[in-house]
Amino acid sequence: MAQLVFNGLVTGLLIALPALSLALVFSVLRFANYAIGSMLTLGAYLVYGFNVGFGLPLPLAALAGAILGAGLALLINRLVYEPLRGRSGVTLLVASIGVGIALENAVRFFAGSTTRGFDVEVARPLRLLGLRINHEQILTIAIVLAALVTIWIIFRFTRLGRAMRAVADNPDLAAVRGIPRTQVIRTTWIISSVLATLAGVLVGLDGNVDPQMGWNYILPVFTAAILGGIGNPMAAVAGAVLLGITEELATLVLAPHYRTIVAFAVMALLLLVRPSGLFGTPGVAR
Amino acid sequence: MLEDIVSGYHGRPVLHGVSLCVPTHGSLTVVGPNGSGKSTLMKTVVGLVRPDKGRVLLEGEDITRLDAPARARRGLGHVPQEANVFRSLSVAENLRVAFDFIPARSGASYASRLEAVLDLFPEIRPKLKVAAGHLSGGQRQMVAMAAALMPEPSVLALDEPSAGLSPKNAELLFVAIRRIVEAGVTLLMIEQNTRLGLTVAAQGLVLVAGQVKAHAPARELLADGLMQSLYLGGH
Repeated sequence: MAQLVFNGLVTGLLIALPALSLALVFSVLRFANYAIGSMLTLGAYLVYGFNVGFGLPLPLAALAGAILGAGLALLINRLVYEPLRGRSGVTLLVASIGVGIALENAVRFFAGSTTRGFDVEVARPLRLLGLRINHEQILTIAIVLAALVTIWIIFRFTRLGRAMRAVADNPDLAAVRGIPRTQVIRTTWIISSVLATLAGVLVGLDGNVDPQMGWNYILPVFTAAILGGIGNPMAAVAGAVLLGITEELATLVLAPHYRTIVAFAVMALLLLVRPSGLFGTPGVAR
Repeated sequence: MLEDIVSGYHGRPVLHGVSLCVPTHGSLTVVGPNGSGKSTLMKTVVGLVRPDKGRVLLEGEDITRLDAPARARRGLGHVPQEANVFRSLSVAENLRVAFDFIPARSGASYASRLEAVLDLFPEIRPKLKVAAGHLSGGQRQMVAMAAALMPEPSVLALDEPSAGLSPKNAELLFVAIRRIVEAGVTLLMIEQNTRLGLTVAAQGLVLVAGQVKAHAPARELLADGLMQSLYLGGH
């Protein structure tokens, strides 16, 4: 039982980064970025390229991958989303589906469809208080928490963070207050992409690096973001952890490969009962 | 400030050749019945609606082509009628973010500007840590005005400041507006409450069906019974 809760916590934290990334883009740009899964896959492959291709140690490869990924995210913003500025959230959502498919196929084109793994040493799991803990799990917890704290500090205490929250809250008023929307949107894409790349690395460590890895996360990521209230980035994290634990506990009564059903069920139930999320207030999504 | 403006939405003009001028350190209140184009006028001034024709000038410079953020950086402070605070941000953050992207014209520091606007609106000092969405309507209006004043704008544009306020809160707010005018900020205000609106401003302008019907010292408009009963529903 404790083991399941722990595993669920780690699973939840894995979902937390892309969920935060999704909620961030949603709150500032007002559309659900379906390409989040492919951004995760792309990030994992970029880091894989630096790690295995150029032989960089994983932390350095992750840094290089995050920078390159952010550059690509800015390029996609310039080529796809900026020309569509002012269109409805549905238009942007459809555009992001296209971006997602394009990214995944670009990955297949360059790297092929075979399953790969990062170049890291395999270590024995630790035993602590009766729990079996992998090194990857410790790494996941540490990195996700560090990322969350960093984002929280940016949101609370920096000029740019305040500007992002202001644009998310009321874009018209933000314009009147002299906040440059384009710059805020670019920053949002950079942060979103770095989070997706980090998530890609962690998911790749947890399992494998393959072109489908992001797709498998889309459903739980959306569920987590909706669970927390999609316009509220930090609540998405709570939603992710809650969902992770629920999924793991469900394996007590369901076969493990039916886990995804849980995410589906939670999402369907939530959309019926509390569309604004557990912590959201009605009317957040205008 | 406005020169022969034709403005509207989707090619359908609401304003038909409106011209008006607020002298530096002066004040002008635009009054008029509902649907007369007051809001469109305000949106054209602050850059949220592009005019089809005509020019917008700020301190002698043509700002017609500038968008709202650029106009704000040129010293045009704006308080919209609705949704004029960031509800999820605290009052202090609302004031801070208003200062972040528009440096004060005199080079004053954030702390000194904060003190200056809190002196003007002492009611919000104890509320600095509260989320702006939790404030009463009157307090929100004060926070919105304080935020607009943070970067020391040369012109303050107020869109129906008394809307949704109780008579008592409206009176309180207009006391503060009078203080702002006396401090030398050029004021352009749109107001549905004719009496309140005209008592704080030097000049008044009556807008009806997108056209200027009268432009005179506010005192004269207030005293003009015919104007009142014809266009303003006799407040």
